[in-house]
Amino acid sequence: MKSWHRYAIALVGGLTFGLGAAWALTNGGLSNGAIANGPWTTSLGFGTKATDPVTRALVARAGLLALPAKETVYWSATTDAAGAPLDGDCRYRLSGKPLDARWWSVTIYDEAGYLVANPANIWSVNGANVALDAKGEWRVTIAPDKPADGAWLPGTKGQPFHLTLRMYNPGQAFRADPVQAVLPQIVKEGC
Amino acid sequence: MRNWLGPLAFGLILAVATAWAAIGAIPYGLMKVASDRLGQSGVNIMSYGNLANPDRQPVVRPSPDLAYSSCPYDLSAGPLAINVAPVPGRYSSLSVFDAATDVIFVRNDVEAESKPFRIILARDGQAVPAGVEVIRTGHDRGIALIRLLLKDPKEIGGLNAARRQSSCATVTKLK
Repeated sequence: MKSWHRYAIALVGGLTFGLGAAWALTNGGLSNGAIANGPWTTSLGFGTKATDPVTRALVARAGLLALPAKETVYWSATTDAAGAPLDGDCRYRLSGKPLDARWWSVTIYDEAGYLVANPANIWSVNGANVALDAKGEWRVTIAPDKPADGAWLPGTKGQPFHLTLRMYNPGQAFRADPVQAVLPQIVKEGC
Repeated sequence: MRNWLGPLAFGLILAVATAWAAIGAIPYGLMKVASDRLGQSGVNIMSYGNLANPDRQPVVRPSPDLAYSSCPYDLSAGPLAINVAPVPGRYSSLSVFDAATDVIFVRNDVEAESKPFRIILARDGQAVPAGVEVIRTGHDRGIALIRLLLKDPKEIGGLNAARRQSSCATVTKLK
């Protein structure tokens, strides 16, 4: 083998490996954040100038045009309370108390972060459209089939899903200690 | 084997340099794609997008609860004037992103005291009209985005006129 052959192989290998590494390093999604709270993760550094190039590329891929934490905190969940991946074939109870924010919503996406068609055309629940029970809690069923009663967030059969919890203008108490904040529970009820 | 030491070192350095360059380029590339998708009406003009749904997702993780109006901008021909008219009683915000995806300005309806406001977005050193609020940036291109929160998707029709009170345009007169 001639010397330039070896350099040509190294050139192709180096470029390929470099591009692959760049893609892999920025593939963590929003869940690759610095703060965890139950199944929810976030990074309060999103949308600021201080982020390093890797974080910036991560955010660009997972949440382009995201707002800074003072304006909106984006929590991401890919598992239930027990740590099992969220599965569109299963039924989950998503529940909690009203959140410490001016407005909040939970949106269901596929693994790549896109909305999936469903017959009901429902992709999110929010603080204005969930009802509170006698204990002051709201409750939503995530399942492929509409529940007999209560709010419904349709899952898609045969597909894993991710949830994004948005908190617009989070309260001062929340911002002081987001790790201890009480966030919605995601409990699997059956498959 | 010794013949490979040079090529291996070369390949390794190239891989690191490529990864670094690609990571640096990803935000710019994705921002360009988003500008093209969001700005159906063109550059330096506000597009009043429809609500996100499975058939219309110009960016990753679109919120189906928000009406997004977007103004992809290019300051090479002059500063950009952005006029925002909050809708009373509901969350809205203007955020301005530069070509590197950094947020360079955010103001919500509460901060604006629910009153209309106007800002001028200009490159460092660009002449701007006197007495206006100016945001300076080091990049020509980027996106200005207005989010307006809906309690229900059906509200979108009734809010059309209010959304169209917000606009953006290149500043042509400096006085």
